[in-house]
Amino acid sequence: MVASSAILLPLAARGENQATAPARPVQAGAVVQVKGNSPYEATQRAIAELGGMGKIVSRGDVVMVKPNIGWNRSVEQAACTNPEVLRAVIELAYAAGAKNVVVMDNTCHRAEDCYQRSGIAAAARKAGAELRFCDENRLALHDFRGEYLGKWPVYRDHLEVDKFINVPVLKHHGSSGLTIAMKNLYGILGGNRGKLHRDMGENIAELAAGFRSHLVVVDAWRVLMRNGPVGGRLSDVEERRTVIASTHIMHADVAAAVLFGRDARELEFLQAAHARRMGEIDIARIALKSLTA
Amino acid sequence: MNSRQGRRLQRLRILSQFLFLVLFFYLLVRLAEGGATRPSWAGFFFYIDPLFLWLGLLVRPFLRVFLLALVPLLLTLILGRFFCGWVCPFGALHQFFTWLGPRPPKKAAVERPELRLKYLLLIVLLTASLFSVQLLGWLDPIALLTRSGATVILPGANALLQRALEAGPEPLYALGRRLLLFVSQRTSIQAIAIGSIFLVLLLLNLRRRRFFCNTLCPLGALYGVLAKFSLLRLAVNDACVKCNACAGHCTFYGSPYKDYMKSECVLCCNCLADCPTAAIDLRFGLPGRGRRPAIDLGRRRLLGAAGLGLVAAALPLSSPERKARVRSFLRPPGALAEEDFLEKCLRCGACMQACPTNALQPAVLQAGLEGLWTPVLVPASGYCEYECHRCTQVCPTRALARLTLEEKKQFKIGTAVIDRSSCYTYADGYNCAVCEEHCPVPEKAIRFREVEVANFRGRLKKVKQIYVVPDLCIGCGICETVCPRTDAPAIRVGAEEEQRGNPAG
Repeated sequence: MVASSAILLPLAARGENQATAPARPVQAGAVVQVKGNSPYEATQRAIAELGGMGKIVSRGDVVMVKPNIGWNRSVEQAACTNPEVLRAVIELAYAAGAKNVVVMDNTCHRAEDCYQRSGIAAAARKAGAELRFCDENRLALHDFRGEYLGKWPVYRDHLEVDKFINVPVLKHHGSSGLTIAMKNLYGILGGNRGKLHRDMGENIAELAAGFRSHLVVVDAWRVLMRNGPVGGRLSDVEERRTVIASTHIMHADVAAAVLFGRDARELEFLQAAHARRMGEIDIARIALKSLTA
Repeated sequence: MNSRQGRRLQRLRILSQFLFLVLFFYLLVRLAEGGATRPSWAGFFFYIDPLFLWLGLLVRPFLRVFLLALVPLLLTLILGRFFCGWVCPFGALHQFFTWLGPRPPKKAAVERPELRLKYLLLIVLLTASLFSVQLLGWLDPIALLTRSGATVILPGANALLQRALEAGPEPLYALGRRLLLFVSQRTSIQAIAIGSIFLVLLLLNLRRRRFFCNTLCPLGALYGVLAKFSLLRLAVNDACVKCNACAGHCTFYGSPYKDYMKSECVLCCNCLADCPTAAIDLRFGLPGRGRRPAIDLGRRRLLGAAGLGLVAAALPLSSPERKARVRSFLRPPGALAEEDFLEKCLRCGACMQACPTNALQPAVLQAGLEGLWTPVLVPASGYCEYECHRCTQVCPTRALARLTLEEKKQFKIGTAVIDRSSCYTYADGYNCAVCEEHCPVPEKAIRFREVEVANFRGRLKKVKQIYVVPDLCIGCGICETVCPRTDAPAIRVGAEEEQRGNPAG
């Protein structure tokens, strides 16, 4: 069994408890999916339906909001998290009493370009968040306690905050099929991340199991359907006008995968997560609240 | 002019030097800043350099912006070498290091052979340039300072500052990093060579005042030739007591009453400030006919320098690199065909400074000795960012053609090839696809196909094996940059099918 103490999930979501209530979907692993008029409102609504930001962020918390800012691509190209989704999350965190909200990502293209072009820098600044660049000097070894992924350098900034909010964009990804919240955690890592593309599914699962996301908000407003993760062609982008929120990272990814049009059971990283009893892989067994605002 | 007025002029000169030095580095740093706007001002110091006007006249098409260099040329005919004394940013650095140097010896003397060398060098370089071999950029002060600034001074300063801040308390470090440092530290494969040359040139000032300017600078030599005929001159009046105080700080060890050579005077005004009897005046007047102290090049030396220039041209022209069909290096996007490129490139490093990813590096000997310090694209150091065309915008001579962003996205720098003996997906039988993931071409020039192979344990396994679509590949090199292998990248970009030699491309 993969070091279960590292799987920081609500107990009820874990496999062993499901023996007692096999058929009933688990509330603690509930997912809210909102189709809305604007990414900003849809985000607000999704978090409200989940019980509000107050359930996640406590007064005085330092909060990391981790979008996907991987690429030097524009909002329309949908390779990075929608800045309006990000802005809504930051503002809600402040409204819930956060002392400081930090935004950062270990980008694939040059960080300054990605932060700027994605619109993330402007949105974060507008919402009053602190925008940070990754600093090699701030790497610390974190133990993910996985079979494949053990100790790996992580930017300390992510370990030093009280709450971690994972705000990925849903998009196609060549080698992993899709990149959503679990894969988004590659962005907290330093080191030679390319090495983690071997047995990628296993690594993604163990990454998500060994590092807690207190809240997951998936941007599926514009979805890059082909030629991900970097994309570039507008014809590869579809408007889905949806935002997904959950405190359960795997369930958020399953719901997002289904929204994308994939069978979650075909995706290696979800298979690997399921094998580690991180949660349900069958969307029918997840409490999914789907609404149109 | 009394010494108070002299000192005022001297201070004004120092202020002017300081401001131009600051302006130079401001423009240099601006070259590296992001954003799509074209930093047209960034070429200011190049456009007012008459040596580059000369080179511009030798190539097609002629860039009219270099006509700006006529302004300092004409002003030199009036004022003399004001550029060297008041404007040149490299000269300002030399002036500063001269000031740091030891106090002047009691009996300073003009050393004509040393002053002469720069004229001979200028003749060598100009002669070679007539035969399409263009080496002026190696010594031109603007190109030299730009190159050194881009590859050594700015990255070096950043690294030192980073270390210094690291030693301090955390909040100060965080603040300093945000306000003062570049996000990523740049490196240059020639930092040691270029930096050492730069340092030696500065240290030579401790032995002789403004050594580079007096002895080596081809731009100073050109201005010197013109300054001989300039209208402004220093004139000694009857108050002179021949105390030789004016020689004390003279930038070229001359003195207005004995060894005044207009071609060497950079109007530093030190003599005006030093003269105790107000015996030196600045006067306008037609260049006199009488014999005055001057640098005598001599016919034999002149011919010798010209001959050396011919040799300097003949050697590269008879070397294979210019015409080589096979090349082991990549040029930046927009680079002209090799011969045209070598003729236009100033070796100034502006493109390297503008490159956001540190991909452009000064060549060592890949392109022949002639190509020393010309830009090459080194994916091991950085990749050509798909959404960027800055190098093509800042090249002062358009050795890199001015491509629009859309044109640059289409420009084929080279082609990627996979080394199947080391690519994980072939050699080790496991998935990787980092290169595929990063490939910026929307249709993906790097793809994979799922095949069943026996891995190194002999087990059959499905693996996504990588392949390149050569016709789609633009040679940006990001695949090579991000390949996770740590011995040598398993995918690399070569000059195969590079567009620049093929105008139809």
